[in-house]
Amino acid sequence: MSILLNIHDLSWKVQQKTILQRINFNIRKGEVIGIIGPNGAGKTSLLRCLTNQANILANANISGRVYLKNTLLTTFSAKEIAQHFALVMQKNDSIFALSVEDVMKMGLLPHKSLFSLDNHHDKTQITLALSKVGLSDALHTHFNQLSGGEQQRVLIARALVQASQILILDEPTNHLDVYYQHQVLQLVNKLNITVIMTVHDLNLASLYCQRLLLLNKGELVCDGSPQSVLTPERLSHIFGLHCQQSIDDITGATQVSFYLEENNRYKNSLSTKVKADTLPNTLPNIVPDIEADIVAKNPTTNKRRDFNE
Amino acid sequence: MNKVSHILFLLAALVIVSAIAAITFGPADITVKQLMTCLIGHCQSQVTDVVIWQVRIPRVLVALVAGMGLAIAGAILQNITRNPLADPYLFGIVSGAGLGATIANISLADNITVALPLAAFLGALFSVIIVVFIAKVLKSMEQLLLAGVAVSFMLASITQFILYFGEPFATNRVIFWLMGSLARVEMSNFYVIASILFIAIVAVFALHRQIDALLLGDESAASLGVNVDKLRLLMLGICAALTATIVAYCGGIGFVGLMIPHIVRQLIGVTTLKLIIGSALIGAIFLIWVDVIARSSLPHAEIPIGIITSALGSLFFLFIMYRSRVMH
Repeated sequence: MSILLNIHDLSWKVQQKTILQRINFNIRKGEVIGIIGPNGAGKTSLLRCLTNQANILANANISGRVYLKNTLLTTFSAKEIAQHFALVMQKNDSIFALSVEDVMKMGLLPHKSLFSLDNHHDKTQITLALSKVGLSDALHTHFNQLSGGEQQRVLIARALVQASQILILDEPTNHLDVYYQHQVLQLVNKLNITVIMTVHDLNLASLYCQRLLLLNKGELVCDGSPQSVLTPERLSHIFGLHCQQSIDDITGATQVSFYLEENNRYKNSLSTKVKADTLPNTLPNIVPDIEADIVAKNPTTNKRRDFNE
Repeated sequence: MNKVSHILFLLAALVIVSAIAAITFGPADITVKQLMTCLIGHCQSQVTDVVIWQVRIPRVLVALVAGMGLAIAGAILQNITRNPLADPYLFGIVSGAGLGATIANISLADNITVALPLAAFLGALFSVIIVVFIAKVLKSMEQLLLAGVAVSFMLASITQFILYFGEPFATNRVIFWLMGSLARVEMSNFYVIASILFIAIVAVFALHRQIDALLLGDESAASLGVNVDKLRLLMLGICAALTATIVAYCGGIGFVGLMIPHIVRQLIGVTTLKLIIGSALIGAIFLIWVDVIARSSLPHAEIPIGIITSALGSLFFLFIMYRSRVMH
C-alpha cells in the first residue's frame, strides 16, 4: 500500500507546555487508524495538525513537517486540503433548523466555485451517500431532531459527498449509546477509505482499528496492531490503573479491562471479613446504654434502685 | 417548481404590486390610472407628474432598497454569528451614526442637509471600525456581540452628553432624525443605497456556501476549506457599509434586520441563499407599507417610520413566536 500521509518530527509547544513532541509515523492508503491515549495526551491536537486547520502548521510554535502524497501540507490551500480530508467533529449542533439536505450540501463546498448552484449530479451524490449510511429517508428531516448516532451518520455521509481520501473523526462515539457506538464504527470500517480517528474506548478501538497510535503527554508511545499496543504493562503505566488483556471469544479482538488498586484490596479484604448475611439481623439497642448512663449519673435513682432491691 | 420557488415568486410579485400601489398613497390624490399614464410619460397634470416622479417614486424606491438592505444585513449577521438575535443595530452602527449626526448638528448648523447624512455615515463607520478591531482581537463570537453592545452604549452615552449641553433646537433635530423618516429622501439616495445593496447581494451569492458552512460551527466550516475569520470580517464590513448608508439617509429604522430574517426562516428556510432572497423581498414589502402608514395615517403630519417599524415589528414578532410555539 502506498504512503498517503507522512508525519515527520512534529512538535508543538504552547508556553513551555508540550502539546506534541517529535511525532513520526506514516499512514498508508486504506488503513483504519485509531489514536488513543489519556485526556490531554494530544490526540485532538494531532488531528488538527493533520488537517492544517486554520493554517495551524504555520504557527511559530510548531516544528516538523506533514506530507500529503509526498507534498508538504502547508503548500496546499485550505480548499485543496478540504478536498483530501473530511472531518467529523464530536458535536455539531446548529441553533437554526437545518435540514439533513442542508448539512449534506455543505460537503459539496470544497468542489464548488463561487456563485455555483446545485445541479442534478450533486443531488444524486447526496442521495447515494445517505443510502450508504442507511438514512435515505432522512433528507428533509431536521438535523437537530436526529439522534446522536444518526447525526454522526449524516456527517459521515457529508464526508462521502466531500469525496475526500482521508476521513478524520474526533471521538466519533462520544455521546452515543453502545448500540450506536458499534453502528457508527462498523459503518466507518465498511467505507473502504483511509480513516484516522481518536477513540477513548480502547476496546472499541481494538475491535474496529487495524492500527493504533498510543499517545501520552504529547509523545507517540507506541504504534502498531491492537494486540501489540494494548499490553497490560504499557497501559498500566500510562493510565495508572491495573490492566488485564484478553481475547474476546466472539470477535477475536484484543480486549482490556482496568481496575483500581483499591478495588483489588477491597476484594481481598472482603474475604477476611464476616459475610453480610452472617451478621445478626437486629439493630443495636442503644436504650439500655442511655438508661445505664442516667442511672450512673443520678444517685437518687441509684438509691431508689437500692431501695427496691 | 417546489414550494420555496412558489413562495419567492409570489413575494416578488407582491414587491412590484406593493411598490406601484404605494405610489398612489399620500396627501395628493393619485389614482392607479393617473399613475400608469404618468409612468409611460403621458402625464396630464404637471403637479401630478412632479409629485409622482420627484416625491413618491424616490420615496417608494428608497423604502424598497432600505427594507431590502436592513433585512439582508440582519440575515447575514445572524448566519455568520449563528445568533438569531444579531442585528445591524447591535454592532453600534446606529449609535455611531447618532453621534456623527449630533456632532454635525451642533457644529455645522448652517449646512445641515449635506452634513448630517455624511456625518452620520462617518459616525457609523467609526463604530464599525471599533467593533471590527475588537473582532480581530477577540476570536469568540459571543464576545464580539457583547463588544458591539458595549460600543453601542458607549457611543450613545457620548451622544447624550453632547445633546444634554447642546442647543435645544439642534437636540430636537437629532432626536427626530434618530426616529427615522423617508420624507427628505431623493433619487440620488436610492442610487447610492442600491449600489451598495447590489455589492452585498453579489458578495452573498458568491459566498453563500461558505456562509452556510458556518451554521454548523467554525471548526466544521474550517474543515470544509473556509477561512472563517476573513469571511466573517468581510461580511461584517459589507453589513456595516449597507446599514450605515441606509441610516445616514433614513435615520434610525429599528427591528427590520432582526425581525424579517426570523419570518423568512419560518416561511422559506435557513440556508443563506433562501434567507437572503426571502429577507430582501419581505423586507422591501414591509418597509414600503410601513412608509405608507407613516405618511398617510395622520392628516397633516407624518409619523416617524422608526416608531412604526418597532411597534409593528415587535407585535408581529410576538405573533410569529406564539404561532410557532402552538405549531410545535
